[in-house]
Amino acid sequence: MNIEKMRDKLRKWREENFRNSEQIVDVGEELINEHASKLGDDIWIIYEQVMIAALDCSRDDLAWSCLQELKRQFPDSHRVKRLAGMRLEALERYEDANKLYDSILQDDPTNTAARKRKISILRAQGKSSEAIRELNEYLEQFVGDQEAWHELSELYINEHDYAKAAFCLEELMMTNPHNHLYCEQYGEVKYTQGGLENLELARKYFAQALKLNNRNMRALFGLYMSASHVAASPKVSAKVKKDNVKYAAWAASQISRAYQMAGRGKKENKCSVKAVEEMLESMQITMS
Amino acid sequence: MHEDDSGVTKKRTLQLPSMSVPLSSHEMGEVELSCLAYAKMYLHASQFPRCSVNGLLLSSSAAGGAVCITDCVPLLHTHLSLAPITQLALTQVDVWCSQTQQRIVGYYQANACASDSSPTPCALKIAEKIFEQCNNAVLLMIDGEKMFPGCRVPPIVMYERKDARWALKDKHTIMLRQWEETCSIVNQLFSSGDQALLVDFDSHLDDITKDWTNQKLNAKIMELVSPANGNV
Repeated sequence: MNIEKMRDKLRKWREENFRNSEQIVDVGEELINEHASKLGDDIWIIYEQVMIAALDCSRDDLAWSCLQELKRQFPDSHRVKRLAGMRLEALERYEDANKLYDSILQDDPTNTAARKRKISILRAQGKSSEAIRELNEYLEQFVGDQEAWHELSELYINEHDYAKAAFCLEELMMTNPHNHLYCEQYGEVKYTQGGLENLELARKYFAQALKLNNRNMRALFGLYMSASHVAASPKVSAKVKKDNVKYAAWAASQISRAYQMAGRGKKENKCSVKAVEEMLESMQITMS
Repeated sequence: MHEDDSGVTKKRTLQLPSMSVPLSSHEMGEVELSCLAYAKMYLHASQFPRCSVNGLLLSSSAAGGAVCITDCVPLLHTHLSLAPITQLALTQVDVWCSQTQQRIVGYYQANACASDSSPTPCALKIAEKIFEQCNNAVLLMIDGEKMFPGCRVPPIVMYERKDARWALKDKHTIMLRQWEETCSIVNQLFSSGDQALLVDFDSHLDDITKDWTNQKLNAKIMELVSPANGNV
C-alpha cells in the first residue's frame, strides 16, 4: 500500500469514527515509522489517531511515543493533556487521570472532552448510577450533545430503567428524524416495557424505522412480534385485531422473502431459512 | 457465605480437592464443556471486548446424567436487556435445536466490565427461563480478568440452580477435557485469523447472509481438534 492510500484509509476511519484499532495501529505505525517526513501537518492528527488506537490494543510503547511527539509540538495543549489522561485510564490509573482532567477543567470549565472522560472513568469503574447522574448534569448544560444523549440511553437500558431510556431516545429522534436506528431502538424499549399501549407504540416505531430503511431486520422482526402480540390481546377490538393480523402477516412475508433472497446459493443458510419459517409458524400458534 | 442482591449465594470457604464430599448425586452434577463450545464463547467475548456478550449453551447428548455442553450459539453484543431480539433469538435457536437434535442446556455471558463477572439480572432471567425447560441448566459467566495469554485457569465461573437460587458450582464438578489442547486450538484460531469468522445473532441481523450457526467456523475448529479424542 502506498502512502496516499494509507493516508486516505486513516482519514476515512477518522471521519467515520471507526474503532478498528488493530488496523489503525497496523497502517498508522508503518506510516509514522517510515514516512513521517512526507506527511506534513497531517502527522499530528495521525499521531493522535494512532495513539488512541494503540491504547485500545495495549500498545503502550506506541501510545507513549505518539504522546511524546504531541507533547513536544503542543506543550500547553488541553487536547494533548486529554490524551495523556486517556493513557492513564488505559493503565487503570484513574485517580491520576481524574487529576489531569480536573486541572483542564480548572483552566477551562467548558471543556466538554474532559468532562466526558471523567464520566467514562465512572463507567469503567462500574459506577453506573454516578455516571448517570454526572451525564444528566452534563446534558443540562450541553443539551444538544447527541453522543451524550445516546450514551445516557445505553446506561439507562443497562440499568433496566426503560422509561428514562425512552426519554433519551425521544430527544434523539426529535433531532435526528431520519435515523432509522433510533426509531428501532425506541420500538425495542417500548416492547420491553410491555403492556398493550407500549406494544402498539412499539409497532408504530418499528414501522417508522422500516419506512426510513426497509432493510432494517430488527425493525421487521419487531413489527412482526409487536403486531402479533397486539392481535392476540383479549383487550382489543375486532378491527384492531384484524389490522394487526394484517401487519403481522405483511411482516412475516417480508421476512420470508428477505431470508429466501439471502439464502440463495448458500448451503449453510438453508438452516436459518428453515428455522425462520418454522419460527414464524410456531409464533403464530402461540399468538392465537 | 454471603448473598448479593442478585440472589446468588457465594461460598467463600476454601475447598481442598480430595475433601469435598457429595451429599447427593444431584450435588455431584457434573458438567462437561467441549472444546468447540469453549472456543466459540472465548472468541465471542474477544470479538467484542467493549461490550457485554451472551449466548446459549447446547447439548447433543440425551438428557439425564452429566450435562455435556457440546456447542454454543453466540447471541448478542448489544442491548442484552432488551426483550424483542432476545425473544427472537431464543425462538430461532429453539427451532434450530429441534431440527438438529440438540437441547438448550445453559446460558453464558461476559460482562463489558471485565473486573465484574457476577451474573446480571438479565443473565439470571434468561437462565431461569432455560431452567424451566431443563432442570440441570447451567449459567456460565466468563471471567474477563482471566482472559490473557498464558493464563492457566479457565476464565469461567459456573452457577447451577440449587434451593431456588443460582449457586456457585463446585469447580471440581466442571470438566474441561484436554484443557491444554483447547487453549492451543484457541491460539491457533487467533494466529490464523479464523477468529474473525465467528458470527453472533446480532451480526446476523446486521447482515442475514451471515450464518449464526457458524458451520464454517465449527468445521475449522473440529479440524484442529485431535482426531484421537472424538469427544472434545
